[in-house]
Amino acid sequence: MSLELTGVTVEFGRADARATVFEGLEATFAPGRMTALVGPSGSGKSTLLAVAGALLRPTAGQVLLDGEDLAALSDARRASARRERIGYMFQSGNLLSGLAAADQLLAAVYIGGGRPRAHRSRAEEALTRVGLGHRLRHRPEQLSGGERQRVALARALFLSPKLLLIDEPTAAVNRSQAGELAALLAERTHQDDCVTVVATHDPAVAEAADRIVDMTALTAGAAPSARPGR
Amino acid sequence: MFLALLELRAARGRFLLMGSVVVLVAALVGIVSGFTTGLGDDTISALRRLPAAQLVFSSDARSDQFARSLLDEKTAAAWRADAGVEATPLGVSITRGTTDRGAEVDLAAFGVEPDSFLDPAVTEGDGLADAAADSIVMSAKLADEGVRVGDTLAIDRLGIELRVTGLTERSSYGHVPVAYVPLKTWQRIRFSTPGAPASAAAVIPDQFSALALRTPPAGTSSATLDARHSTTTLTKEEAYEAAPGYTGERVTMTSIQVFLYLIAPLVVGAFFAVWTVQRQPELALLRALGASRSRLLAHTVLQAALVVVLGTAAGAVLAGAVGLLVGEQVPFSLPAITLAGTMCTVAAVGLAGTALTLRRVTEADPLTMLGANR
Repeated sequence: MSLELTGVTVEFGRADARATVFEGLEATFAPGRMTALVGPSGSGKSTLLAVAGALLRPTAGQVLLDGEDLAALSDARRASARRERIGYMFQSGNLLSGLAAADQLLAAVYIGGGRPRAHRSRAEEALTRVGLGHRLRHRPEQLSGGERQRVALARALFLSPKLLLIDEPTAAVNRSQAGELAALLAERTHQDDCVTVVATHDPAVAEAADRIVDMTALTAGAAPSARPGR
Repeated sequence: MFLALLELRAARGRFLLMGSVVVLVAALVGIVSGFTTGLGDDTISALRRLPAAQLVFSSDARSDQFARSLLDEKTAAAWRADAGVEATPLGVSITRGTTDRGAEVDLAAFGVEPDSFLDPAVTEGDGLADAAADSIVMSAKLADEGVRVGDTLAIDRLGIELRVTGLTERSSYGHVPVAYVPLKTWQRIRFSTPGAPASAAAVIPDQFSALALRTPPAGTSSATLDARHSTTTLTKEEAYEAAPGYTGERVTMTSIQVFLYLIAPLVVGAFFAVWTVQRQPELALLRALGASRSRLLAHTVLQAALVVVLGTAAGAVLAGAVGLLVGEQVPFSLPAITLAGTMCTVAAVGLAGTALTLRRVTEADPLTMLGANR
């Protein structure tokens, strides 16, 4: 499984109010490697994740996930790709309101057509791995911002996706927790041989990455790897 | 199912509120349906039980035919000869009387020829005696009012005394329990002058309200026979409208039911419309996680179905309980098949209301998750 973006352009708006996020972007992400996308706010990190995650259809270009162009797929097949091959953690947690932490993970199983109840103990283990073993029955409104992020991260990892797209995983956690989460991401990337792309401002995450890509340089057409990571 | 139930549990307050509304709407529809059937039965159950296919009235009676129409034996004989079917006179009038044990009753007197096909089967006692005897067979409903087989019933202000020989199945006409009397007796009730001295030698016309046909005319059409004999022939079902108040009651009760059937989908639809708008972020998140549109639709329809079906079932129980509570005091009849049909309709229109919101469910945009902040 590899991810390759070829000549990808993303524009928002129409005619006179058109804004180009990036144009003709080229990037390749190899399996078993965790890439940290760094760069200032507004540089297009989240947009790149959305394009790679089949959430946003690019204006032009190809998004090849294991050779299949996600940009050219129908809405239904793009949903299927998100469900079956992509784990996504959004910038702000984005949990389902009213559902307990364990049920957030089981919802992903349900969406995939599996039997959630058969995965409950695994879900509880996954939450324990991100330090939330004591919050299994807590609903989003009973969790702190950092805890919500960790639930969302556990959910993204839960079904062992081949493409892991993580947007600011440590924005609401303390330094020690950030280091632990970054290490967990790196470990899962290597263990599952998945493609992991993490948009981050956090040096701890960048430090744990196998490769660091400066988004500003990338969109300017420079070499994608500004400097090697760990 | 998993997620739908979790959401229901998480938002149980809102769903309970909505479910309560569905319960009340369903119960109201059931209760109205019970009254519609009950009032209908109370008005025409005696006509419904008549073993006749058609009823012939005099042509000058264009409405309230049972009260206004009068036919004579000459017309009846001509009809019989022309139509070639079994036909027997029927007299219908509403009167009142008092038994020798002091029970005061209103009754719809149905005058029939003893041993004709209109002569009712009895469930207790004996049937009508010969035409000359003043006997009466009463609906079992009158037994509830204290009338017993063997009692003597005096028709108020007419001085006519009738011996209660038997009881027949419960039936009524114009909200009054039916009692069958020999046609000759009926004619005395119908044509006597109230308050006139009993000894007055009044001439009683040999007339009756209608001619009941056991089967439709075989050869000549009813229209031809009507034109020939100055009559109007109605099927038994058409004749229901000739019963006092029947049409007005039906229109009123049916209108209420129709409005409830219109209100139900709007109420349920409005709730699910608001619910869907509130859930747009969740729906977008589910889409972003890869949920297909069909799964979201199934998920929403399942939630609606649970609320509507459970609410309707509870409403049915409530309507049935109201029926038991009011008992025999009011005309309320809610047979299981009527209740089931009514509740199925409520559930169907409720779900139809939900269908109005489904488009929004499928339009949830996963891309909105990019800027989400929850």
